[in-house]
Amino acid sequence: MTGPGTHGPSIRPGGATRPETTALLEIRDLHAGYGAANVLQGIDLTVARGEVVVVLGANGAGKTTLMRAIAGLIPHTGEILVDGAGVGRSRPDLMLGRGIGLVPQGRGTLTDMTVRDNLRVGAVTRKDKAGVAEDIEKWCGVFPRLAKRREQVAGTLSGGEQQMLAIARAMMSRPRLLLCDEVSLGLAPIVVQELFGVLAGVNSDSGTALLLVEQNAELALEVAARVYLLEVGSVAATGPAEEFRTNDAIRRAYLGY
Amino acid sequence: MDIFFDRLFSGLTAGSLYTLIALSLVVVFRSSKTINFAQGEFALFCCFIAWWLTTKGLPIIVALIPAMLVGFLLGVVTERTLIRPVRRRSETAVLIVGLGLFTGLNGLDGWIWGPANKQFPEMLPSGDSDYFLVGGARLHYDSIGIFLIMLLVVGLLSLLFNKTSLGLRMRAVATNAESASLSGVKVGTVLSMSWGISAAISALAGILLVPVLPPNELDLSSFFSILIFASAAALFGGLDSVKGAVVGGLGLGVAESMLNGYATFLGGSLQLTVALVIIVLVLVFKPTGLFGARRVERV
Amino acid sequence: MTTQSADREPRAASEPSDAQPITPAGTTSPVRKHRRRLPFVIRRNSRSHVGLIGVGVVVGLAMVLWGGGFGQFNQGQLTRVMIYAIAIAGLNIATGYTGLVSVGHSAFFGLGAYTTGILVVRHGWSPEATIPVAFVVCFVVGLVVGLPALRIRGLYLAMVTLAFGVAFPEVIARFSDLTGGAQGLTIRRAMLRPPSWSGFSLSEKGQWLYWLCVVVLILVLIVVHNVVRSRYGLAMMAARDNEIAASASGVNLAVVKTSAFGLSGALTGVGGSLFAMYLGSLVANDSFTLLNAIALLTGLVIGGEATRFGPIIGAIAVVYIPYYTSDLGQGQAAAVLFGAALIIIVFIAPEGLTGAFFRVFRRVLTVIPVLRKPQPPAD
Repeated sequence: MTGPGTHGPSIRPGGATRPETTALLEIRDLHAGYGAANVLQGIDLTVARGEVVVVLGANGAGKTTLMRAIAGLIPHTGEILVDGAGVGRSRPDLMLGRGIGLVPQGRGTLTDMTVRDNLRVGAVTRKDKAGVAEDIEKWCGVFPRLAKRREQVAGTLSGGEQQMLAIARAMMSRPRLLLCDEVSLGLAPIVVQELFGVLAGVNSDSGTALLLVEQNAELALEVAARVYLLEVGSVAATGPAEEFRTNDAIRRAYLGY
Repeated sequence: MDIFFDRLFSGLTAGSLYTLIALSLVVVFRSSKTINFAQGEFALFCCFIAWWLTTKGLPIIVALIPAMLVGFLLGVVTERTLIRPVRRRSETAVLIVGLGLFTGLNGLDGWIWGPANKQFPEMLPSGDSDYFLVGGARLHYDSIGIFLIMLLVVGLLSLLFNKTSLGLRMRAVATNAESASLSGVKVGTVLSMSWGISAAISALAGILLVPVLPPNELDLSSFFSILIFASAAALFGGLDSVKGAVVGGLGLGVAESMLNGYATFLGGSLQLTVALVIIVLVLVFKPTGLFGARRVERV
Repeated sequence: MTTQSADREPRAASEPSDAQPITPAGTTSPVRKHRRRLPFVIRRNSRSHVGLIGVGVVVGLAMVLWGGGFGQFNQGQLTRVMIYAIAIAGLNIATGYTGLVSVGHSAFFGLGAYTTGILVVRHGWSPEATIPVAFVVCFVVGLVVGLPALRIRGLYLAMVTLAFGVAFPEVIARFSDLTGGAQGLTIRRAMLRPPSWSGFSLSEKGQWLYWLCVVVLILVLIVVHNVVRSRYGLAMMAARDNEIAASASGVNLAVVKTSAFGLSGALTGVGGSLFAMYLGSLVANDSFTLLNAIALLTGLVIGGEATRFGPIIGAIAVVYIPYYTSDLGQGQAAAVLFGAALIIIVFIAPEGLTGAFFRVFRRVLTVIPVLRKPQPPAD
């Protein structure tokens, strides 16, 4: 795990900053993949409470695999610690129980169900019926376009609306850390702006930490505090978003603009 | 006219029974995206349990309950131990396991209870005088009962799917299992419950069906043809649709009865061939059936 | 079948990660060298390879000759094994090599049997002359049944074939003038007289049928072997493993799938034809039911799908398991064992007994093809 030598002084190759207090999410030497194809080759990564972190990287760097491994969709080796305690078997409902939710790539819309039912499914782990109903209204308030289509079958929504629904559904479980895999994919810039506005709001209002995977580096760097750069399954560089935004050398070397 | 009503009633009775088995296929398909080839044999096994309990002196209406419970457990255990481990590997593996269950359960019934046919008691009143006259045709109480029980099961299933938390989770898994799991739905539990509920419905259907449909007794091969009829009905209506199973089941029952009655040039007794033709036509020309949402995998 | 292709995929996927940087032979560690001793490697068509095949042929011939001297009953059992091997070899073409799972091959088996039965009883044909007719009839019906395979796959195709298998006895009953309906069709003993050129008398008809089955089985195995090794066989397996890729590589899926189903039905029909001669009386509700179809599939799965000798191993299981367990469980033990075997095989040895045997065998001895210089395509 050695980063190329072009990085700036405060960006350390590989290895993550380890905050003194236990991080919300800490990943040590994570390996994961599909069958015999090992995609992730030892990832170290942390997310503090309330922090916004972005994972950048080219196609095939392993970003989606990383998200799926954290969310418990695919098995992993290495350690995933939540609040300093290891999680054993990877299973999405267990991770959700620890407060980590995923907005999957491709949105995972429950296409045959209504918008309202999609949101109710998002809250199956919760017992407080009144709170769930309240949250459905809350998210319909955040995304007025969903409110209008509350009883409509979700498969008939536009791509942007489905992405809104995906975020709202994931937030229905009130996660402490929301993983977002390419929310901007295939959407109009204006919709992307709205979605990122909402995500920033989620972070500032409820203190939900965000771990974003993005192709749209420019946009992601605006909202994120810290950056991990993935290259072929390992962390090539990491550091504050500020450095990535301002350092031309890094931008050219890693981000290509 | 009275002959027409006669045929209509007998068609609706058979159709209600096909509907029930078709419903059990639908419940499994919605969760696991597979057709359980052993569904009929689940029903047969439960019928044998019920029959065995009646030989111990239990009335059939009481024996129904343990038989349905056994069906439920059979479904849950099968899904958990035999289907789930191979589900991700391939569709064919699930198919072979289903066929293994098919022949294994069939043989087990014969092993335990003997291969000879059994007289099976009817749960609903079926005496010679138990009927209304409608348009000159006899509408037997047991036909009414079977029809009402079918409607009750459909009603309960609709309630389950639309009004309960389990139903919400079952629908979510049916639509997109991975998404459902990301929302915290325990997919495994939903699958097991689906198989259990499905097998319990099959048990109920079997117990209603054996005394009514030929050969009117418990035969080891009772459910071979029933499975075909029910599959044709379920495919026709759309494999993931409750409404489709009802329309398909009743439609098939009535059509079969009318064909036998009026299309004498066919020479009768080609019901299975008709079912085969329906299956092929539906799969080739409208794989989603009448009300199905999902596309059947095609080239 | 896809159980295997699924098994195959990860292996293919693992190749890149297994592919270590190529190290010169001298630098391999001693541990590696030690492991290299096994398997023994011989080249295809080398002297030792031909010798091994020769040994196999001699052993096979010896077993066949040995069986030729058996008493009537045991020889009859062997005849049944060969008949089932032919039928399962037919099923193997569709299900094993092309991935079209058929749960209705009992219908082809029955169709072949009734073709022979009707021609012999109603038209006075000599039994062995009906075999090609059974082949052709079943081939044509197989093409028709295979047509849905163009649009339908996997589970749904299995459903269609299942319905076909269940409906078959009903169709036989419908045409009772020809088939004898529920009473069945009896081929009188005298009608099964061996042809005069064979030198067997009527009382030796068991012997005659045994040798007839030997010849037909060998022919069927040769046909299957050659089909599988031809371009056509490659196309079948490509269609099984990945339809889209196969189609993109120029495989005509429609032709391959329907003709594979046709050939499959035809070979199983030949088995049925011999079965009619063996049994002498045909009752569709007894011999050609769904359970019979599942027995054929069980034989194939136990023996090993897409293997050359799997059908023989499977046929031995299908014939002898019911025979040795007939005292158990009111005669139902075989069905239970078949069911258990299907499930166990799927769980622990998806490639079947033959496949598992050769997997182990290859660790000891591997045959590799002779490397040839690439030649410009002939056409």
